[in-house]
Amino acid sequence: MGDTAGMTVAHMVASGMGGIRTSGDLVARMEYAKHMKLKDAKEFVAKKLGVNTIDMADEVVMRELREEMKLGVVTAVPNAPRGIAAKLNIEELLGIKINSCELFRQQTKR
Amino acid sequence: MAFENEQKALHDALVSCKVPDIKKAVENAHAAGMPAGDIINVLGDSMSEVGVLFERGKLFLPHVLSAANGMKVAMEILGPELSQADTDSQVKASVVMGTVEGDVHDIGKSICSTMLQCAGFDVHDLGRDVPKDSFINEVKGGCTFCGMSALMTTTMTVQKDIIELLKAQGLRDKVTVMVGGAPVTQAYADKIGADLYGESASETTRKAKELAL
Amino acid sequence: MSFYTRLGDGKRVEMTKEEAWADMQAGTADAADMADIPALSTEELETLYDIISADGRLVGVEPGHEVVLTYDIGQLDFTGDNGNSGNGVDMGRLEAALLHERALGADTFELAHSDYSIKPVKPVISMEMQTMEEIQAEIIAPYFYGAMPNMGLYYAPDGPYGNPADLMREFKIDESMASSEAASEHMARDIEFVGTKIMQAGADGFNFDTTASAGDADFVGVLKGVEALRKACPNAYINVGMAGESVMGIHGMIEYDGQVVAGLYPHQQCHLAAKAGADVFGAVVNTNTSKSLAWNLARAVTFVKQCCIDCPIPVHVDMGMGVGGIPMAEVVPMDAVTRCNKAMVEIAKVDGV
Repeated sequence: MGDTAGMTVAHMVASGMGGIRTSGDLVARMEYAKHMKLKDAKEFVAKKLGVNTIDMADEVVMRELREEMKLGVVTAVPNAPRGIAAKLNIEELLGIKINSCELFRQQTKR
Repeated sequence: MAFENEQKALHDALVSCKVPDIKKAVENAHAAGMPAGDIINVLGDSMSEVGVLFERGKLFLPHVLSAANGMKVAMEILGPELSQADTDSQVKASVVMGTVEGDVHDIGKSICSTMLQCAGFDVHDLGRDVPKDSFINEVKGGCTFCGMSALMTTTMTVQKDIIELLKAQGLRDKVTVMVGGAPVTQAYADKIGADLYGESASETTRKAKELAL
Repeated sequence: MSFYTRLGDGKRVEMTKEEAWADMQAGTADAADMADIPALSTEELETLYDIISADGRLVGVEPGHEVVLTYDIGQLDFTGDNGNSGNGVDMGRLEAALLHERALGADTFELAHSDYSIKPVKPVISMEMQTMEEIQAEIIAPYFYGAMPNMGLYYAPDGPYGNPADLMREFKIDESMASSEAASEHMARDIEFVGTKIMQAGADGFNFDTTASAGDADFVGVLKGVEALRKACPNAYINVGMAGESVMGIHGMIEYDGQVVAGLYPHQQCHLAAKAGADVFGAVVNTNTSKSLAWNLARAVTFVKQCCIDCPIPVHVDMGMGVGGIPMAEVVPMDAVTRCNKAMVEIAKVDGV
């Protein structure tokens, strides 16, 4: 806990990957889904994205790449996939199953 | 130093938290001629160390209580020979303890109450979410220490309210006010006019013992 | 020559290099003594000193050293009162989730009930499931359900079991232990119930915040709950975040997998969390409000560094108000937060925050 600006913003500025601004959500998924330590998770995701690990938190590189790969973009781009649509593409990229996508498939009988 | 071996044996037995060992060390020290009051003082000092070891994760609550039980057994053995002053010194003061109204956190305050009890205080633990008047009534009833815990920034202000109530009822000079809890700091304790701030249960107990002398 | 730094209560103070070094050495020595682990090396203390005494208001890690940020407490940082350091900005949980994802750079986020404890979620679980489904349709980043195990809610007067600390004071040691064990089992069942239901609604996983706040039986209850949740939901993302650096021995002898858990430190706690089925371990070190940032941070980094070395799963250090070296202040000073963050990433080598 701690106030939002003092805690959330400060941590993001100091060391945060930036979530969907860059590739933080993808690295997080590999840490959680496969118990990968940070270094391994970054290398795994970098390989899938076709970039160097230093590019993974580079906003300019990742902004373009996320749009091209249809992984969801942080700014409001019309027709860019959001939510489940983006996560279906992330599943394919990372070779993992995402629980909300599984539920979506169950509900839509796909 | 007189009775050096006995002192060490008493200390080691108490820190081992084993009642039979404490009993044996007390009996041996007594048989060697060590004054009853001195035996109790060594055990009392060792009890403080037990509190610190608990907080450092080296001993656990049942150990602390077992050591306190050993102290009780020692008092029973030495009872007839303890002077009134020795006996009085064991009950340091009556303390009312509680987590203030609006706050339901309990664990930290309960551990603090346990440590104070083990150190020889007569503890009246009122629990958590304790109405302000209940603290005041205990002070009116003879408690000379008032310990208030608050675990939230929204409830720590109640500690100040109770201090103001004590003042309004002419009781402030009759009681040592102790405050603690996660968001409470020495600076806050100073600001609201508390007498004692405890960062931890053992620090609170150590400071309370000093003030009770 | 002196520089501005902070005390553990957030107050700005001036320190000389010698004072800061003395505090750093004392802080790391304290952690090393408590947990029987190595103190920080001179080289690591030099790095730490450079971070603490840096000229800039804020500091940050070198490019390429960024880490994953797992946020806890859900929307309550916006909607809560000052008890949660909240801003008192009322908003829906969907808006809060998307704000964290799109405006605050969260790598993961979570849904939270306003009480933020597992037990009170039981009667409203269907509502929580609906909200989880709704937000999962919109969010891209991993989205957990978060709550505190908070075993205190299972003791009288909130729950059916006697308060173990009160029973101990009456020297009813066996009764106290039995009460802790019963509450622990009850909480494990609730974790399985709430966790399994929320996973059925599409949650990515569960974040356990302040595990072991009620002591060793609380820790065992969470571990057993995690074990059951893992069995029921093999793909759940599970984060076990602790409440303090040491597991308090309220019971004293309760075991998990043949190991007494009381008195365990982060580098030991993490093995049990991994064994139970956690994916990420949240190491916690409490801040002493009377000591300096130098003392607190050196101490915290010492515990967490060893945890990162020993832990078989990723470590996300808990870095909120009053933990991880960060001062205990409702409105936290950013200079201190960023220094603690950089030190944890670059010296302790955490996998996330």
